[in-house]
Parts: sequence; structure tokens; C-alpha cells
Amino acid sequence: MSSTLHRETLETAAFRAGYLSLLAIMLLPLLVVVVTSFSGTGRLAFPPESFSIAWYGEFLDSVRWLDAFTNSIIVGVGTALLATVLGVTGAFGQELEDDDGLLGTLLAPLVLVPLLIPPVILGITLLMYFNEFGLRGSYASIVLAHTLWATPLVYFVMRSVFSRFDWQQLDAAQDLGAGPVQSFVHVVFPNVKHGIFVGGLLAFIISLQEFVMALFLSTPGTQTIPVIAWTEIRQALDPVVSVVSTILVVISVVAIVAAVIATNLEWLSRQLS
Amino acid sequence: MSEITLSELEKQYGDTTAVEDVSVDIRDGELLCLLGPSGSGKSTTLRMIAGLEEPTSGEITINGEDVTDQSAYERNTSTVFQDWALFPHKSVLENVAFGLKMRDVPKEQRRERAEAMLERVQMGGYGDEDPTNLSGGQKQRVALARSLAVNPDVLLLDEPLSNLDKRLREDMQIELREIHEDVEETFVHVTHDQDEAFTLADRIGIMNEGELIQVGEPTEVYENPANRFIEGFLGDTNFVESEAVRVTDDAVHVETELGYELVLPSDGDPDVTEGAELTLSLRPEVLSIEQDAAADSMEGHEQPVLADGSTLNAVVGTVENVLYRGSTVRYSVSVNGTSMFAERTGANTDALTAGEEVRIEWEGDDVLAFRPDGSQVTL
Repeated sequence: MSSTLHRETLETAAFRAGYLSLLAIMLLPLLVVVVTSFSGTGRLAFPPESFSIAWYGEFLDSVRWLDAFTNSIIVGVGTALLATVLGVTGAFGQELEDDDGLLGTLLAPLVLVPLLIPPVILGITLLMYFNEFGLRGSYASIVLAHTLWATPLVYFVMRSVFSRFDWQQLDAAQDLGAGPVQSFVHVVFPNVKHGIFVGGLLAFIISLQEFVMALFLSTPGTQTIPVIAWTEIRQALDPVVSVVSTILVVISVVAIVAAVIATNLEWLSRQLS
Repeated sequence: MSEITLSELEKQYGDTTAVEDVSVDIRDGELLCLLGPSGSGKSTTLRMIAGLEEPTSGEITINGEDVTDQSAYERNTSTVFQDWALFPHKSVLENVAFGLKMRDVPKEQRRERAEAMLERVQMGGYGDEDPTNLSGGQKQRVALARSLAVNPDVLLLDEPLSNLDKRLREDMQIELREIHEDVEETFVHVTHDQDEAFTLADRIGIMNEGELIQVGEPTEVYENPANRFIEGFLGDTNFVESEAVRVTDDAVHVETELGYELVLPSDGDPDVTEGAELTLSLRPEVLSIEQDAAADSMEGHEQPVLADGSTLNAVVGTVENVLYRGSTVRYSVSVNGTSMFAERTGANTDALTAGEEVRIEWEGDDVLAFRPDGSQVTL
């Protein structure tokens, strides 16, 4: 009995150790990036010979970097809004459909397609496509490209959120005189708003870190942070790249923490009820 | 207050027919119970009245107006759902006021009305509560108040009491009855519980396999069921297979699987031919069961005819087992190898025991007979 128990704890410990070391190996590069951003010299080396926050000052003084930062935020917010609207309405519409019609059956695999096409190919194709409409280099073109990627993720998050929603509440709302829009606003939305928030954040993060399509579709005026970082690294490896990466990592971590808190708040309120 | 008419209502899901050819006039201000086993189509019928399901064919009118093509939110009906479907993110008061808000009633007025409705269902003072913190009975009351607050043409109740425990359910039945008398609105109540239907209903509509078989007052459907299904569904009974052996103007003589020839008195000209197969229904409440002091008296199996012309039927058998059920004691009796059961009130201390010879008697008038297709025979 005690020996089995002993073996089980040993196995658990081994599993945990393995898991943690895997996590550490994956997260170490991030640590390197963060540490090098505080480098005191102009070389991107690890470990740095000395520490300073000079490169943060450099970043804040650089018009190019700040413009790219603004571009990333514009594209990210645009993507988050568009992908959320599409993903939420798509998932909602599919839930409303009584019997799985042709559209419903086709929608789920169809929505996945953009995720399966290599981004290089998507980027080139979209570049040619948007040229036809005179959209080349516009924010809209990058937002649309990122939305292709972000929408499926929002869609699947919302499918799972809606599957936990008590649809009888929608019946009750309509039964009491609420039309389609009113019942969504007053009854469905308050129940799934945390899920929508998480979906939107996810779309924002996807857009923030996407590089390949942004490289093809942007012009100097609309270059996002990953695109600038790429061109900078090719010219000279300086710690501003690390600074920018650190800021991106921090934004992503903050967004994920916000998402976790939002979902857990919902979970917590369910547990308490 | 309003009348609802369902004409030839039908609902199909793919190849399955959930509701078939349902026609009924629901009277102004009545409480109609749709009663049937699960899957009988009663909830689907209710949801079609609410507008939550679209009928495949047929027509629904409320106060003469055809509402078949109107959406749920365009109809002035309101439903109390089985799980109550209260909005968890709104307070109790906001729940009750929701329908009024959708009707653009000014805030102050809807608050007053909602508070009055909560008062009516004895939930006054609970307005600020979170509905998720309420007990089942309390949720039930709030759901009722929410539905009544909009002053619906008809209140639809979809098994709202089935999730409550027995005691609370019985209290709520009586309260629902009182509320119905008080608000003078038309109620349609769906249930699978016979006792609930008998307690609540002005009229009962019995459904089975998508069809509405019979609509009538509780005594009418109980005493004069349209078919064998209803007789079996409305309460425990003994079904006894038999064959008509002699038909006269005032009686049908049947040979039964009990091994006895029984006499069913007729009001005249019974609608039975000799040789017809009949299923008899002997309800436990019409049977009396006594120790058989003179088993020999049944020799020859001749049934006695009483002086006033009525017939008394009797069979003799052996008690197989005794089931004590609190208020009643049920005896399973083997009559020439066929089992039947009879009951005594628990207060009857003259207990019978297994293995004892007993005599079961009943008046011939209390027996119903059904044809093989299930329809009732007019005797």
C-alpha cells in the first residue's frame, strides 16, 4: 500500500519535473529577450556586460518604432473588432439553426481553412487580390488578412461559450416580448460577454504577433512592429529589438491574464450560484 | 381573458411527427391541462401556442385573430418554463419587470407592477435578490410573477411543478388554482401527472403519440374515457381479456380469462356482437375484497342477479402477496391462475394474508369494456 503510494508520488513528481523543464526550455528565450533589452552596450549579447534602460529611451525617441507601435495597435484593434463580430454572429447563428442545415454543416470546416493555408501563400494571394481593389498597403488590407486568422479562433471560443448558455433564456426573453435584437442585447450578451471579451483579446494577440502576411501587405506607412523588427534585425542587431519584443510579450501576458481573470470570474460566479 | 383555437395543428421534425391533427377550442378563462406521457407532444403543442415552435401545418387563433405566422415576441402569450429560465444576471425585480420593459412601460410604473406581482405570489421583499440564490419553490413563484406581469392573453405552463418535491408541488397546485381564479385569465398547463391535472383542471386534454385523444371535464374523462389508453393512463386498473358469449337487450355475458362468466348490464341494445373480444377494466376502487367464508357458493360460476335488477359479479381467488402502501393495502390475487389486484384502506385492520382464499366483488355497472382497437364499448 505505502509502496504503491510512494511510487505514485514519485511518478507524479517525475511528470511534474519533466513538464516544468519543458516549460522552462520554451520560456527561456523570452527571458533572454527581456534581459537583453536592459543591455548597457549596443551589442545584442547574452548575458549583457552591463545593464541600463537606455534602449527603452531609444525606443521612445524613435519615430519609426512608435509609428509601428501605433500601426500594430490600430491593426490589432481593427482585427479584434471585426473578428469578434464575425466569430460571435457566426457561432450564434449556427446555434440558432434548428436542424443542422447545409450551411451549418459546412461552416465549421470552412472557417478553419485560412488556418491551414501557409501564411506566405495567403500573403501573396491577398497582396494581388487587394491590389485589384486599390487597398494595397492600407490598414484595411492587413486587418482583413489578420481577421482571416483570428475569426476561426473567436468562432470556436464562442461555440464553446454558447454551448454552456441556457438557451431556454432566449425562449423566455422572446416569449416576454423581446425581439431578436432586444433579446440578444438584454439576455444573451450579458451571459456571454466574458467569452466575447476573451475571443476579442485572442484576436488582438493574433494580430499583434502576426508577421508574414503583414510583411507582404504593409507599406512603410502601415508597417507593424514585427515587420519593423524584422527589417531592423537584418540591418543591425541592437537591443531596441529586445525592448520591442519585451513590450509585445508584456502586452500578450497582460491580455492573457485579463482573459483568465474574465473567464474565472464567470466560472467563479457560476460556482457561487 | 381570451379564447384560443387550435385547428388541425401538426408538427413534424424530419420524418417524425411530434403533433398530429390537434384541434381544440380553449375557452375563455378556463384552466386546460394537457395531460400525457413524455413524448406525447403536449409540450410541443404548448410551444406552438407560445410561438416558440412553428407548426408544420394548421392554424392557431387567439380571440379570433390568426397568430400562426406571428413570432413569439409578437404574441401576447407568456410561458412558465419547466426550469423556470429566470435570467441569472438580473435581480428578481428586473426579471419580473422584463416583459414590461420590452413593452416600453415607464420605469416607475413597471417597478410598481413588478412589486405588486411579487406580492401576489408571496415573494414581496425579494425584489433585490439574485434569482440564482432562491430555492426551487421561490424560483417557481418568481417565474409565475414574471409571466403574469405582462397581462398575457393566455398563460402557458410547461410542467413548471415537475422539479419540485411532492409536498411543495401539492401546495403550489392549490396556489396555482387560487391564482387562476384570482387573475381570471386563460391558463394552459402541461403535465404528465394525473393527480396534478385532476387537482388543477377545469378541463383535461389527454394526449398520446402526438394526438389529442379526448378533451373533457375531469370526471368525464375519468368515468367515461374515450379509449383503453386513457383508462390505463388515468389510474391503476385491472385489464381482463374476455369474449362476449351471449348478448341480450339488457346485458352482455362474457367469458373471461379469470375463468368466470361475468355479466355486464346494458342500458339497452349494447353495441356488441356475440364472439367479440372485449377488454374489461376493473378499477381497484370499485372492487371489494373479503375473506371467502363460503367458497363453495361459487360452484358453477353463475353470477347472481340482485333483486333491483343490477348485477353483482364475484370471483374467488388466492392472495399471492400483500403490498402495504400506507393509506391503502394492495392485494395481488390469483384467480384461476390470472393475477389481479384489489385494495383496502390501510385503516381496515382485518388484514388478509398471503395464501388466504378471498372473494372479490363489484357491481356490473362499474365495469368498462374496450374493443381490440382501444375504443370504448357503449353498454
